[in-house]
Amino acid sequence: MEFSDHIKTANVEDVVLRQPLHPPSRGTLCITGHHLLFSEREEGSSQQVLLLLRNIDAIEKRMSGSSGTITIKCKDLRVLQLDIPGMEQCLNISRSIETLSCLDNVSEMYPFFYRPTDLSLQDQWGLSTPEKHYTQMKELHERWRLSSVNKSYSVCPSYPPAVIVPNCIDDETLKKVAKFRQGGRFPVLCYYHRKNGMVIMRSSQPLTGANRKRCKEDELLLQAVIEDSDKGFIIDTRSSQQVHQARMTGGGFESKSFYNCWKRLHRQMERGKALQESLIKLVEACSDESHNVDRWLSKLENSKWLSHVQTALSTAGLLAECVERDGHSALVHGYEGTDCSLLICTLAQLIMDPFCRTLEGFLALLEREWVQAGHPFQQRCAHSAYSHARFQQESPVFLLLLDCVWQLWRQFPLALGFSEALLLRLANEVYASDYGTFLCNNDQERCALGVKDRTHCLFRALLRPAERDYYSNPLYEPTELAIWPSVHPQSLQLWRGFFLRWTQLTHHLEAVQEEIRSMVIEWGRVAQR
Amino acid sequence: ILIKEYQIMEFAELIKTPRVDGVVLHRPFMPTVEGTLCLTGHHLILSSRQDNTEELWLLHSNIDSTEKRFVGSVGSIIVKCKDLRVIQLDIPGMEECLNIASSIEALSTLDSVSLMYPFFYRPMFEVIEDGWNSYLPQDAFKELESMTDEWRLSKVNKDFTVCPSYPPLVAVPKNIDDDTLKKVAAFRHGGRFPVLSYYHKKNGMVMMRAGQPLTGTNGRRCKEDEKLINATLRPGKRGYIIDTRTINVAQQAKARGGGFESEGNYPQWRRIHKAIDRYNVLQESLIKLVEACNDQSHSMDRWLSKLEASNWQTHIKEILTTACLAAQCIDREGASVLVHGTEGTDSTLQVSSLAQIILDPGCRTIKGFQGLVEREWLQAGHPFQQRCAQSAYSNSKPRQEAPAFLLFLDCVWQVLRQFPCSFEFNESFLVLLFEHAYASQFGTFLGSCAADRARLSLPEKTVSLWSWVNRPQELERLTNPLYEANSLVIWPSVAPQSLLLWEGLFLRWNRSSKCLDEAYEEMVHIIEYNKELQNKVNSLRRQLAQLETEDPLLDTP
Repeated sequence: MEFSDHIKTANVEDVVLRQPLHPPSRGTLCITGHHLLFSEREEGSSQQVLLLLRNIDAIEKRMSGSSGTITIKCKDLRVLQLDIPGMEQCLNISRSIETLSCLDNVSEMYPFFYRPTDLSLQDQWGLSTPEKHYTQMKELHERWRLSSVNKSYSVCPSYPPAVIVPNCIDDETLKKVAKFRQGGRFPVLCYYHRKNGMVIMRSSQPLTGANRKRCKEDELLLQAVIEDSDKGFIIDTRSSQQVHQARMTGGGFESKSFYNCWKRLHRQMERGKALQESLIKLVEACSDESHNVDRWLSKLENSKWLSHVQTALSTAGLLAECVERDGHSALVHGYEGTDCSLLICTLAQLIMDPFCRTLEGFLALLEREWVQAGHPFQQRCAHSAYSHARFQQESPVFLLLLDCVWQLWRQFPLALGFSEALLLRLANEVYASDYGTFLCNNDQERCALGVKDRTHCLFRALLRPAERDYYSNPLYEPTELAIWPSVHPQSLQLWRGFFLRWTQLTHHLEAVQEEIRSMVIEWGRVAQR
Repeated sequence: ILIKEYQIMEFAELIKTPRVDGVVLHRPFMPTVEGTLCLTGHHLILSSRQDNTEELWLLHSNIDSTEKRFVGSVGSIIVKCKDLRVIQLDIPGMEECLNIASSIEALSTLDSVSLMYPFFYRPMFEVIEDGWNSYLPQDAFKELESMTDEWRLSKVNKDFTVCPSYPPLVAVPKNIDDDTLKKVAAFRHGGRFPVLSYYHKKNGMVMMRAGQPLTGTNGRRCKEDEKLINATLRPGKRGYIIDTRTINVAQQAKARGGGFESEGNYPQWRRIHKAIDRYNVLQESLIKLVEACNDQSHSMDRWLSKLEASNWQTHIKEILTTACLAAQCIDREGASVLVHGTEGTDSTLQVSSLAQIILDPGCRTIKGFQGLVEREWLQAGHPFQQRCAQSAYSNSKPRQEAPAFLLFLDCVWQVLRQFPCSFEFNESFLVLLFEHAYASQFGTFLGSCAADRARLSLPEKTVSLWSWVNRPQELERLTNPLYEANSLVIWPSVAPQSLLLWEGLFLRWNRSSKCLDEAYEEMVHIIEYNKELQNKVNSLRRQLAQLETEDPLLDTP
């Protein structure tokens, strides 16, 4: 179906746009297949507002007399209002927005049409590949190998074609292990700690089921990970009660008797619906306009968002402690191994690995641990906090990651090479983007749709010189040390820059950060001369 | 100095064990040290005798409460300070420990003002400018005179008889004579007749403050009072009376002789009631807040509900909102304002001083802010002596304690955070004022009013805090590197989402600020380097321009 079938009225004159932090303006509204374009028609100004329809989470319309008002709630939490003359035009516009903003067909999405002049489709897509990553990690080669068992995505649909596994485990064994793990996600290496040679592995839950099925190959694989050392830790992102219940539905956990060198630690982390609801409540609290402090604080508490931040950071801290302080390897999983597992593996790497804290390193980390590792972005980010649609698979896990990274940045302002602006940009891009990076749910789907050939890569775009300047942290001073975040409730704060960014307040602060940034760039330039 | 202290009988009697060896000190974020503990009349000193430095030098007056614990023959004293720090001293020997504990308790609660440390303290630094003369009412008045001739400086209170809590000199409307003032004083709580607090240069509107009118149950009126405040209105204009109490509280005050300005007798004034809490309510709020901040449980819910239950942020919001209202009346409505509550020494001053922060860029400089604190708090008669006698850890029953000044500082911090470039001073200055209001070697915050200060001869016998602050090295530490003078009115957001917990003060001893301090220093460094380079660029430009004029060949390529 053509986009034009959905557009009955493409142009409306004399529309008034109200958006936060700007005075209302009057102009022309256009709807295209992917965008909503507003051009101001006022004397001496030619301001334009271009909004991806994909960014629209929900719309509301209100009619009064012959004109109508459409309220647009965006996934980046902005709320816009359009006053449109003419009842019919208003209805047409709102219908078009409603349909076009939630088209399901990925190959019709904007990244497949976005062709900026300074990027070429011939450029390499992505920052790295599992193969390159393995080649660069020379210290791995002795004990670890790159397996192509998944090259046709038949062993694990959500894994990339190449993964790192212990040397002594052959592909046949991996196939058997894959059958024993949910979604075929057998344990793979995600991080190698250079200081002591310990590793972090991640996987999904073992499918032990009610009758405690075991899998020798799985035990063998995990034994190969710790080799001769005395023990390893399994960090299960579910409570021990939850894992027992999981057995009823075919899932389970690594029992002490079959994995006697592994010590299981349970940390319950919320996912899925609970997290989505938490986000909705938080955003509701943030946009509450009653001027009541008690109400604000109890709504904030009620949303539980900060508790989720705390749990994520403290679980990641626990994982990093196992590896860095206690000198043991660790395996992380929950149920599917595509959400909380990725969240805490990523945070633990930021805590321990100085390279992950550089701008390039952080983007490469996200590429490895989220895009390639098969976080189902398409499902998780279909809707954000304003949507009225019934949830299916939506969950702001990635947003929670960004919030946790922000907490790290706030507690260690010198240790991260990138700025809050990068986190804000990523929070936008993950919900609606010009780039193909966050399309689809895994590598297989991306391959099938030719995402890597037909769209541009966000991470590469963010590393162009101008962007790199903009997203760098002017205060950055690399440190080799681990950065241990405080997880005391008193140390964690609401990420105001994101959740309250459309209010007047953060506006002043942005102005200051902008000033510091331009100052740093200025003196960088002068110093070069 | 120390020897001199010992000679004073009051102290010698209280110190049974002046010295204990082998005492172990535990402090937040610092390594544990062992050393010798000494008690003097005013200090608790611990020295490990390494590098000749004292690890701890604590004023007894900074101690809010102590607790003792015994494990075997080692006793521990937990010392909770008014600046919210908590330290622990492990003392070998039961008797020594008991002696030390009882001495600390006695010495930290001495009531006699003249035995306080400021009377014994001699400055170890060169006084460049005597702070006692920095902010005199007559100097402030000279500035006012350059803007308007509608006001005069009255000496009616020169011997503190008309109003015991006012300074000897106050600014009043020019055409109101001293006899009228005396009559008005008899009609206002504590003799606090309406005086000028702020003159808004932009439109000539003023803010006045006073105590509540003593109308009582039968609606007493005072023609002179009406005449006084009406004298501040422009012809045909109305003014606003901002009463910091709810209408109910104001009504109830009538039964005790107080009251408010009725519409009938003050037709040119519109009264607005706000609800700013005082005394016990505030003190309890502080206690709860500090308790929440020190809570070691790892529950996010518990923290947020405790924070909420403390109500501290609500008080901040009420005060800021009322100050914004006063500022709005003056700047936007172009009307004059009279602020009062009951006594006019607490919430009234919070409102009048914050309104000036909002309206007057001059108050946002370091000296300007000192002047504001001096005018609107010290000379205006905020009873520091009573209000700051105890802080958040005290076990004794609160009498007149209330963190009114701390709330004011917190509000200033909120505005500073929202307008990070508009203040010449940084957070450290606010923290410093908080500390010195509760315990200090300087005389600035001693006493409760100008009369007290005169009676105690503070300017002659003690050093002013401002003498210490206004030296280059201190000023540098307290200067905000981002400051850019801004002549505008700044309107803070008072939405609950905009108000934050003042971490730099309330979580100061609970979380290490090392990383944040480093980042701050790095920022200061960048800004300084930037300035340096800009100077270089400018001088190179000048050189180039000069060369161009001297050498005409340069013009012809």
